[in-house]
Amino acid sequence: MALTVMLLNGSSFHGGCCRHKVLLSLLGPFLSNSKLYSSYRRPGAEPEKKLSWQNADFSFKKSIDHLKTQLSLLKKETQDYLLGPGGHPLSQHLLEQTRVLWQFRSQEDLNKWVISSDEEIGGKSKVYLKLGRNNQAALLYGTLNTEVPRDGETKYSGYCSMRSRPAVGSFNRKKYYDWSNFNSLYLRVRGDGRPWMVNIYTDPYFSHQKDDLYSYFMFTRGGPYWEEIKIPFSKFFFSSRGRVQDNQHPVWLDKASFLTLGFTIGDKVDGPFQLEIDFIGLLKDRAHREEFAYEAYDKN
Amino acid sequence: MNPQAKLIFTSSLLLGTTITISSNHWIMAWTGLEINTLAVLPLISKSHHPRAIEAATKYFLVQATASILVLFSSMTNAWYTGQWDITQLTHPTSCLIMTAAISMKLGLAPFHFWFPEVLQGSSLITGLLLSTAMKFPPMTLLYMTSQSLNPTLLASMAILSVAIGGWMGLNQTQTRKILAFSSISHLGWMAAIIIYNPKLTLLNFYLYAMMTASVFMILNSMKALKLPTLMTSWTKMPSLSAILLLVLLSLAGLPPMTGFLPKWLIIQELTKQDMAPTAT
Repeated sequence: MALTVMLLNGSSFHGGCCRHKVLLSLLGPFLSNSKLYSSYRRPGAEPEKKLSWQNADFSFKKSIDHLKTQLSLLKKETQDYLLGPGGHPLSQHLLEQTRVLWQFRSQEDLNKWVISSDEEIGGKSKVYLKLGRNNQAALLYGTLNTEVPRDGETKYSGYCSMRSRPAVGSFNRKKYYDWSNFNSLYLRVRGDGRPWMVNIYTDPYFSHQKDDLYSYFMFTRGGPYWEEIKIPFSKFFFSSRGRVQDNQHPVWLDKASFLTLGFTIGDKVDGPFQLEIDFIGLLKDRAHREEFAYEAYDKN
Repeated sequence: MNPQAKLIFTSSLLLGTTITISSNHWIMAWTGLEINTLAVLPLISKSHHPRAIEAATKYFLVQATASILVLFSSMTNAWYTGQWDITQLTHPTSCLIMTAAISMKLGLAPFHFWFPEVLQGSSLITGLLLSTAMKFPPMTLLYMTSQSLNPTLLASMAILSVAIGGWMGLNQTQTRKILAFSSISHLGWMAAIIIYNPKLTLLNFYLYAMMTASVFMILNSMKALKLPTLMTSWTKMPSLSAILLLVLLSLAGLPPMTGFLPKWLIIQELTKQDMAPTAT
């Protein structure tokens, strides 16, 4: 207590420039160099040439344009609010049984998705996303390589994924979807026979839940014909940091906040893969009465 | 839930409520409020879903802050005036802080943000408890301190609550959130009249509690968590749907129903007190 008071007195007396030195002297044994974070960079990551704050562009005209865009978005949001829930009239919300969320007809639609692979951790898989023939579908293709990067700490490798960007409203606020009307995911895909994993990330309130994911499998046929795959939301199991949890619970869709949908391939088989997606939608399957597929007994 | 655990939580709720409503000393009132807060937390987080835990956390933080403010204002009042009696709250700062604290407990705007999310994260029966039983102790405190509350703050919070409760409830599709905003709106009505005629506040509260309890119980029997379920429930339970219609109209305050009575009397009282713009 007295030491802290003395330190604070010392720092306030000498001014701001010495506060850093005081802090460093306190933490001296824990620092090997002047940076307060580790400088280790994973093998696949790009070296940081410029710090993120140095990329800020202080142009006045650009900021005015940005403000105008955000204000127009806000105006549109207010008009949507006056129309009804989700920007549609209430009758549409009450009666709709299907809804198309993402369809791939232009480059703009492709920009709503982000692709990634194990290259980030030093692996050798490659993944690409482009528009298919006649701009009628998205083609996610690449090569899976399960060779483990030699950095001493990675044990497994070989995954490629495509995730949707979460929707942002005006002023970069999170947009919340209300998917409670629907109970299944409806995908029109043409795969190559490889199994994929469909992941749903609902942006949780607590930061320690940020690795939580709801997943299920999608087995593709590989034929020349398009497949229509229905995955009920009751089948999605809960996992955290890749580990399936014992306490399972269904994904609540009423405030599917900041939701991202992702497709991952990681079936431990080296070789090329390909997935064409026509559209992704939601379906209210009234024949599907299941609430949740796992842990159906009463726990408390 | 384990029957013994359920018994402990329910009896703690009753104990907390009884302690608060029968207390003369601020410390006892605070004790009752704290017991209530702690007892209802396991009921909110019963399903162990992350959203239910989130609701319980939000509820706890808000209620704990409000309890702190209650204790702080009663302590400052005791410091200045030497009085711990609930009805003898005289120091102006204490009155201001107490008004803010009780409105935080109740969920009056601008302290209402937690209420819809907490109600959405809990089950329908817990929502019923949160809307009616948990409002009872703070309402009693409001009644007992009615002469010493800050009128400006209370009137502005009342108007804001009624407005926000009405407008935010318009585009909702989840029934629990709709009922949360209706609760905020009704609390605004209750807060508007407390200075002039506290008995009308109590009348409004009792009628509101009965109507809300009926709505929650009907929704619970229909398992209607969202509007489309309500839309299709008439085929299975036509009489219950008809009764729900009547109860909801009563909650809205439409003339032939009982729910119109408190609104009418409040408007009449406000007009008598030269508060016609507020009445509008």
